[in-house]
Amino acid sequence: MVITPVHYIVAPLLAAFAIPLLSKIYKDAARVVPGIVLFYNMIISFVLMRQVLKHGMINEIIAGWQPPWGINLVLTPFTGFLAAMVSVMGFIIWLYGFRFKRTLKGGVVKYYEILQMMMIAGSIGVIITGDLFNMFVFIEIVGITAYSLTAFYRDRNGAEAGFKYLLLGSLASVFLLLAILLIYTQTGTLNMAQIAERMPEVSSGIKITALIFFLIALGIEAEMFPLNGWTPDAYEQAPSPTSATFAAVVSIAGIYALVRVLFTLFDVSGVHQYLIVMGFITMLVAEIAAISQKNLKRMLAYSSIGQVGLVLIAFGIGSQLAVFGALFLMLNHAVIKSLLFMTGSYFIYNSGEKRLEGLNGMHKRLPYVSALFSLAAFAIIGFPPFSGFWSKFYILIAASDQKMIFLIIGILLVTIIELVYYLRLVGRIYFAKEEMQDIAHKPSVNALVAMSFLALFIILIGIYPDIITGYINQAAAALLDKTHYIQQILANK
Amino acid sequence: MNEFNELFIKYKDLITIAVYGTAIMLIIIGLYAVLLKKHLIKIVIGLSIIDAGVHLLFVAVGYIQNGTAPIFSPGYEKAANRMVDPVPQALVLTAIVIGFAVTALALSLVIRLYKHHQTANIEQIKSLKW
Repeated sequence: MVITPVHYIVAPLLAAFAIPLLSKIYKDAARVVPGIVLFYNMIISFVLMRQVLKHGMINEIIAGWQPPWGINLVLTPFTGFLAAMVSVMGFIIWLYGFRFKRTLKGGVVKYYEILQMMMIAGSIGVIITGDLFNMFVFIEIVGITAYSLTAFYRDRNGAEAGFKYLLLGSLASVFLLLAILLIYTQTGTLNMAQIAERMPEVSSGIKITALIFFLIALGIEAEMFPLNGWTPDAYEQAPSPTSATFAAVVSIAGIYALVRVLFTLFDVSGVHQYLIVMGFITMLVAEIAAISQKNLKRMLAYSSIGQVGLVLIAFGIGSQLAVFGALFLMLNHAVIKSLLFMTGSYFIYNSGEKRLEGLNGMHKRLPYVSALFSLAAFAIIGFPPFSGFWSKFYILIAASDQKMIFLIIGILLVTIIELVYYLRLVGRIYFAKEEMQDIAHKPSVNALVAMSFLALFIILIGIYPDIITGYINQAAAALLDKTHYIQQILANK
Repeated sequence: MNEFNELFIKYKDLITIAVYGTAIMLIIIGLYAVLLKKHLIKIVIGLSIIDAGVHLLFVAVGYIQNGTAPIFSPGYEKAANRMVDPVPQALVLTAIVIGFAVTALALSLVIRLYKHHQTANIEQIKSLKW
């Protein structure tokens, strides 16, 4: 069997339809099959990544229609890297949530696993597609599954957070459709490579209108200020593995879509400055909001938005080194933030308290999980022996190369804010007085494996960043080399 | 049929304006409902109206004067340059399906909200911060 990028999408879709049938025969199919599919996705992402690095970009043509007319899936070192990252995180989150149904009643878990799998599949679709409208369809797949998962717990807040997310998400999709329509009327094509080729001929007024529509639409998906009102509620109300998925998978896909549109499709000057300014505001507002939060998951959600802001800043700087830093930070964000959500959810589960007071003295009841949480907290602030240090370091170096002194000062100031609230969390875990309750829910083996793996990854990358930097470097180069992308896709026209 | 065509050609500017105007009006009406109405069902209706406007815009963009359906059928073998653009129509079909799914999901969430709060007024529901 030949492995091609389309497997990324076909396998989860097939499984999603088959699971309700299979679960008539085998009761646990709804839990096991998504794991098999996600594991398969992980394997093919490694195989394809090797292939891409050896033989160059893979451009898969769907249904025999050549690129300008049909839909194509593109795997460059850039998209391949992100797809690999998303699929690995997807599998780890599945592993973590394998026993998740314990807390739920009966049949519901079936829908949970299917939705979770489709959310991950949709995100991979956003990343690998080469067609603008196809990207819209995948964004909607991610959206619809994410709304449902946000409202998964049948309490009042779940439904409200879900509805809020749905409202903003549908407005985003309207703006995205309008932007696609404008682009289509001007260039007569939906293929991203061909749009990029024809973009210089489009009059600047229409270009800017389309750009604004794109920024509104994808800004909502990528959690950019001021369009991220849905984010804290959705992260807070969703089941914890889903919160981890929002951070590790969905936000990555959102940032990818934004970056692909801004870097490949448009050649408008000023976008980079806009990204820096908006990224900085996003980061500052989110971190200031995080420090005053009383609720653990909300605090982590705001911290997520802050990280996204930093990623946007790094993309805005736009040099090879900065893009390298941005991709490194996306990887770190996915790994570290999902570890924080995973461990944090055990604290909430044990204390039955979503508020920060629930953390008090947790290290006596869950020593190992507390250690992992602290490790992740230090890593996300950017302490040297951990992976978070390198991404921030590279972004700061890139900023200093461009002589952006104020930006460096700003990032460091925001890091201090980050330091304050994460150290407060760690302090609560280790030093605050507890009210001892002896009912401890020990984490299950699969969750421990998943969390330990992520922790190991953080330490390993922190000590030997060289094992990953080669891939990221090629990914950054692939994103910035727009002409190569266009030529390769339209080569066999 | 011929009379209709003549009429159409005579007033083609007017018809173009009417179609585009309707689409934009629909979008504005929908946005008004989504942003200013307090009732959840009305907000969902507003979303549907916006969708309808965007879809109409798509079809209008692909339209050409005196065009035919983009299908090669007996009697229309040489009609390739009179055919309307099939791409926007395909896009609209997809977008309609997605819009349907989102509307259904939104309505089910509205039902759940109503069950919990005994009201569909958005001002009385805010238990989370915006």
